[in-house]
Amino acid sequence: MKRSTKYLGIPRDAWIRGITMVILLGIWEGASRLGLVSQLMLPAPSKLAATLGNLATNGFPQGIIVFTHMRVTIFRILQGYLIGAFVAIPLGLMVGQIALLERAVNPIVTFARSIATISLLPLAIAWFGVGELSKVLLITYAAFWAVLTNTIQGVRSLDPVYVSVGRMYGARGVKLFFRVILPATLPRIFAGMKIALGLCFMVIIGVEMVGTVQGLGALIQQSRWFYRTDIAIAGTVLIGLFGLAMSLLLDFLERLLLPWAVGLEEVER
Amino acid sequence: MSSAGSSSDGDTGKIKVRAESVGKTFGEENGEQVVALKDIDFTIGTNEFVSIVGRSGCGKSTMLNLVAGLLLPSSGNVFVNERKVAGPGLDRGMVFQQASLFPWLTAIENIEFGPKNTGTPKEARRKQSQELIQLVRLSEFENKYPRELSGGMQQRVAIARALALDPDILLMDEPFGALDQLTREDMQGELLRIWQERRKTVLFVTHSISEAIFLSDRILVFGTHPGFVKKEVSIDMPRPRHKASKEFLQYYEAIYETIN
Repeated sequence: MKRSTKYLGIPRDAWIRGITMVILLGIWEGASRLGLVSQLMLPAPSKLAATLGNLATNGFPQGIIVFTHMRVTIFRILQGYLIGAFVAIPLGLMVGQIALLERAVNPIVTFARSIATISLLPLAIAWFGVGELSKVLLITYAAFWAVLTNTIQGVRSLDPVYVSVGRMYGARGVKLFFRVILPATLPRIFAGMKIALGLCFMVIIGVEMVGTVQGLGALIQQSRWFYRTDIAIAGTVLIGLFGLAMSLLLDFLERLLLPWAVGLEEVER
Repeated sequence: MSSAGSSSDGDTGKIKVRAESVGKTFGEENGEQVVALKDIDFTIGTNEFVSIVGRSGCGKSTMLNLVAGLLLPSSGNVFVNERKVAGPGLDRGMVFQQASLFPWLTAIENIEFGPKNTGTPKEARRKQSQELIQLVRLSEFENKYPRELSGGMQQRVAIARALALDPDILLMDEPFGALDQLTREDMQGELLRIWQERRKTVLFVTHSISEAIFLSDRILVFGTHPGFVKKEVSIDMPRPRHKASKEFLQYYEAIYETIN
């Protein structure tokens, strides 16, 4: 941790970031009030704050309050994300260790990973309907490939000297796996989990635009019918904040679970 | 054969490691073959400190890996304690060239890695690892992760880890190659101290002629393409040896000429 100068007990960087934010919001607010931009196209920050308050109390659409939207969204993400990761991690550990298998499935993995998940939405609806299953499965899809590729790469980029050390000091088979290969691969798996989470947040908004009135994606989609740009922007801001919070949570978990690895892993997107 | 510096042990002079017309060829399955080693013969006596020196590509690390059992010879045999080497064994400990400590374990946990695998009870393990961390003079650093340790400290931990299963033989693959000169010289002194305290047979690979002369009872000078034992040199100098002494420099020149 670098130490920086503090003013009034707040670090210098926080001041710089805060002041930048205030200036930008000020310009936005001013431009809106002076009529330089249309209130309808780009509502002022003060209007957005009022909208957020309204979303929290009265709700939209059909009186669904914003906390319900958030809860529904996070629940969908968590289901798909956890299912995807829990299937991808063991599979990736296996594929990564068997060179022949890795070579065999490599093109398939690259192909499947390159497909924008949202383009599978029509197919998912055709197969699984417009209900929860389609939504969760698409999230699963997005998370699965990101975690899988990173797990496979993690095993494959394992420094062979670790395996030699393991073999020299009596670790073979299951012991070699649990005491050497798995811990050596964990930072990379974690990196894959972070990437996957980001992808899930992108995908959820798309899938929630169909067949539901609950969820942050639905909130944004519904705002279109009433030309409520303020709700669309407020919803987008909420998703951004949500994603930020989740990613901070994962960083925190990483520090807690893998204190030795913080800053060691190279994240590949 | 000189075993100067080692020991008053009963079985001094007994053969610990024997290579019999060992050859190693890489890439045997498909197409191009590279002959790394050819017709290697040597023996190492109990508690003897033997170094292999030679240019890069002379197969010295390959030879060490053959003794370790991490590689198997294409022809000939390697024997350790008169048993043919068919894989790694707990009678051999190895110190690798680069940082080979597990980054997810603390210094002391790294040292205990071997004993943990062999099922040594926790208390015995802890007691022994405490002794070893004292031996390598890192007691205050036992709970640090490798990345919090300097290169020299990491190699000390690696030596302690190699000693933890109390092997007969220490195999060292350019263990100080990545260290700066001053640290390297400290480590050479430390290694001799540990070797004399713990009575081990050492096979040490280095490309530094002076390191080999400073440490060894005997030096195997390897030639290249393919690797072979070009010359054996016994170093008959009492320890501690002074790198600037006339005798030291004479050995240096003789070996330097053999290599070139």
